Amino acid sequence: MSVFDKIEEQLRKRFRSRPPRPGIARRGLVIMGASAFLLLMGGTGMLFPAESGKVWANETDIRIADSKGDWGYPTPFRHYPRGPGYIRMSWAFDTLVWKDQTGFVPALARNWAYNPEKLAFTFHLDPAAVWHDGTPVTAHDVAFTIAYFQAHPYRWISTDALDRAEAVDDHTVIIYLSRPYAPFLSDIGGTMPVIPKHVWQKITDPRACIEPECMIGSGPYVFKDFDKTRGTYLFEAFEDYYQGTPKKHRLIYVRTSKALMSLITGQVDLAGIQPDMAAPLKKKGLTVIENERGWNKKMMINHTKAPFNDRNFRQALAYAIDQQEIIDKSHRGFGMPASYGLLSIDHEMYNPDTPRYPHNPEKARQIIASLGWTPGQDGVFHKDGHPLAIELIASNLTVAGDSVSDRDGEIIARQLTDIGIQVTLTNQEQTTTDSRVKNWDFDLAVSGHGGISGDPKILNEMISSTYGAGSVNSARYDVCPELNALMAAQMKEMDPEKRKQLVFGIQAVYAREMPAISLYYPKAMAAYNKAKGINWFYTKGGISKGIPIPQNKLSLVR
Amino acid sequence: MQSPARHTWLTLVMAYLAAALILAFLSHSLPRMLPGDFVTAMYGSSDVTLDAQQEAELRAYFQDDSGFAGFLGRLLRLDWGYSYTFLAPVSTLFFDALPWTLVLMGTAHLLSSLLGFVLGVEAAWRRGTRTEKAGVGIMTVLEGIPELCSGALLLLVFALHLGWFPAAGAQTAYADHTFVQQTADRLHHLALPLTTLILAYFPGNFLLARAGMVMVMKSPFVLTARAKGLPPVRVRYAHAARNALLPLVTRFGLRFAFMITGALVVETIFSYPGLGTLLFNAIAMRDLPLIQGIVLAASVMVLGVNLALEYVYTLLDPRVAHAS
Repeated sequence: MSVFDKIEEQLRKRFRSRPPRPGIARRGLVIMGASAFLLLMGGTGMLFPAESGKVWANETDIRIADSKGDWGYPTPFRHYPRGPGYIRMSWAFDTLVWKDQTGFVPALARNWAYNPEKLAFTFHLDPAAVWHDGTPVTAHDVAFTIAYFQAHPYRWISTDALDRAEAVDDHTVIIYLSRPYAPFLSDIGGTMPVIPKHVWQKITDPRACIEPECMIGSGPYVFKDFDKTRGTYLFEAFEDYYQGTPKKHRLIYVRTSKALMSLITGQVDLAGIQPDMAAPLKKKGLTVIENERGWNKKMMINHTKAPFNDRNFRQALAYAIDQQEIIDKSHRGFGMPASYGLLSIDHEMYNPDTPRYPHNPEKARQIIASLGWTPGQDGVFHKDGHPLAIELIASNLTVAGDSVSDRDGEIIARQLTDIGIQVTLTNQEQTTTDSRVKNWDFDLAVSGHGGISGDPKILNEMISSTYGAGSVNSARYDVCPELNALMAAQMKEMDPEKRKQLVFGIQAVYAREMPAISLYYPKAMAAYNKAKGINWFYTKGGISKGIPIPQNKLSLVR
Repeated sequence: MQSPARHTWLTLVMAYLAAALILAFLSHSLPRMLPGDFVTAMYGSSDVTLDAQQEAELRAYFQDDSGFAGFLGRLLRLDWGYSYTFLAPVSTLFFDALPWTLVLMGTAHLLSSLLGFVLGVEAAWRRGTRTEKAGVGIMTVLEGIPELCSGALLLLVFALHLGWFPAAGAQTAYADHTFVQQTADRLHHLALPLTTLILAYFPGNFLLARAGMVMVMKSPFVLTARAKGLPPVRVRYAHAARNALLPLVTRFGLRFAFMITGALVVETIFSYPGLGTLLFNAIAMRDLPLIQGIVLAASVMVLGVNLALEYVYTLLDPRVAHAS
């Protein structure tokens, strides 16, 4: 008997006592379909009822949201070269010094001193510090780390200015410099992860190692798992951590592109949020924190070609752009106009006398006219029969690990059009834009980067190709001898007050030369579930080199 | 002497092999036309500022100059290459992501095809009734709603307001679950993305099945079956619907073949793991070996499904075999 015969037989039995009604099968199917849907939707929901984000809300766990998920294995050689990658490594690997809300604080080194005569830093290590396998952390490990990174570069730091490191005793190490290096404390002290000699002395290809031994650090959390496909990480508290056992047993990273929903449903305890989300999240009882201004949106200018190679023309562009209008229309007011000197206005070395370019379209037109351009009938400037036509590239940028879309390009294009520049706006994917900027195949491009509240070395990297040739955010502006001299000087000025004056000078000259235009600081916020008993905070000057993410390990230790 | 049938199959397989070779060439050469390279994507706007020498070293390290012949040679040795980003074999990455895509897309295709077929056939049988007209209207509207929209709405209602479902992921990460709890947890996470996909695929299947059935029902053999006094269910399914099944099977095959790209939107909305996300990230990072591997596997899948369909057609409708 075939399947159809069986169905037929069943139906005959079913309708034997009454004539078949045409609607009956339809109704049956509708009921079947609805039941299947409800079973799927409700059935699993019944297992995990509405109020129970509680399923994952284990009191001993902390769950952190991340929209991308994958940031590489948390070893110094395998984490990705962006803030979230470094942060993951920082849970397992400690540095000599660290930063909190106020500035540098002791970490593996209980105290430190600089000897200018000997060009040397002396660090006294915490004798309670041990590696995750129980071996004590010693000065020999620190000396080994420096030698190892000199042989196998860890690209977050520069060892160029380091001569050697010597372990005086088990807990005292002296690091000798080959030349004065002002960013030493931020770069080597606060960024360089110290690695265990007894593990790494056997490893010749550090990039290849993802074995558990390569994850052994002296940080507050022990690395347990990384799932590339799901983008999740698991760390467990290191009970013998020298600064005290961490407050939560497990630290878990969860991939979610919906931070707001994941926070409200209790799926995560901490997430970076868009500023618009702050009010509803506060109503739901979550705590919202705001960062200092450590990230800036800026406009890259191809200053190697006309008409952008003229400083006056670049200044005219600055006058034409209304920073506040971009913030109001593209970011609903959540932001603040940026200093034209690049360094954050929250930085202790910010120069308040940096030249300003208040929005003044008329002045912009006058400057352009003074450069030989004449307004045509269509309102567009012309010279030698050619219109002043440029291309502006815009793309969705990744800010602190999240891709953010906005209308910045659109608004800037209109502002430039208003003063008589014919603008073609091209929206491109970020890597394509980066590639074009890198190859000088552009006129103007909207870009952005962080680190501007960290060590002022960022000025050199974002201005000069000597320091930042590989960065697409670097203006690579090398033609101003005054600026070059100031940048070289600030790198070797070990006296903070004198260095501050040099940094003041860099900001002033940079704002005058205008090789790129800083536009605004977007508001950066995060929200967390206070019921978990952790007070997350943003680090002064950003974690390490200036990472604007509130996942400081001290939140879970102190 | 070869039988004609065997000859036909041999020709077919040869044609498919030639197509596979062309696809291998395209999957090797097209990603290379993307502007930008891995070092720019990974380090260009990162927190690590490279100087010119460091950049050159990295570029030399992540350079593949082996050409198409080398690529083909490695493929024949079942070596898919090594991902720049993950520093892991491409095949491992692919097969780690594949099960999640198969569960999500496979279930969605199967359910929406079955549901679309049955309801489409029923609708055609009731052609002209108010129910059928309303059904066609609703399905036409649903067909026009993109996954992006329906997914966001489902999230808003069932995750944010009702709190019935998690907003992201495929399972609760590192939960201390038994096997049964883990299965329930995975279904719990699967519900919203799966419903989004069913809402996207089901209306098209319904409309296709209904249209095919309406045409078939005009055929003389359906009239004959009715005239013989056969029960309506038998006329509908055994006689008519079987003949209306071919377009649906074609659609099923094609959709299945495009499951990698098809999954991207839903995977992104629900942060669901899978091949779509893997490919998306690979393209963003200009991870050429990974892009090549996924694109080639997807292309081969299209070929494989097409080849399978050739066989399924002849099973469903023997006239197809005679047509050649």
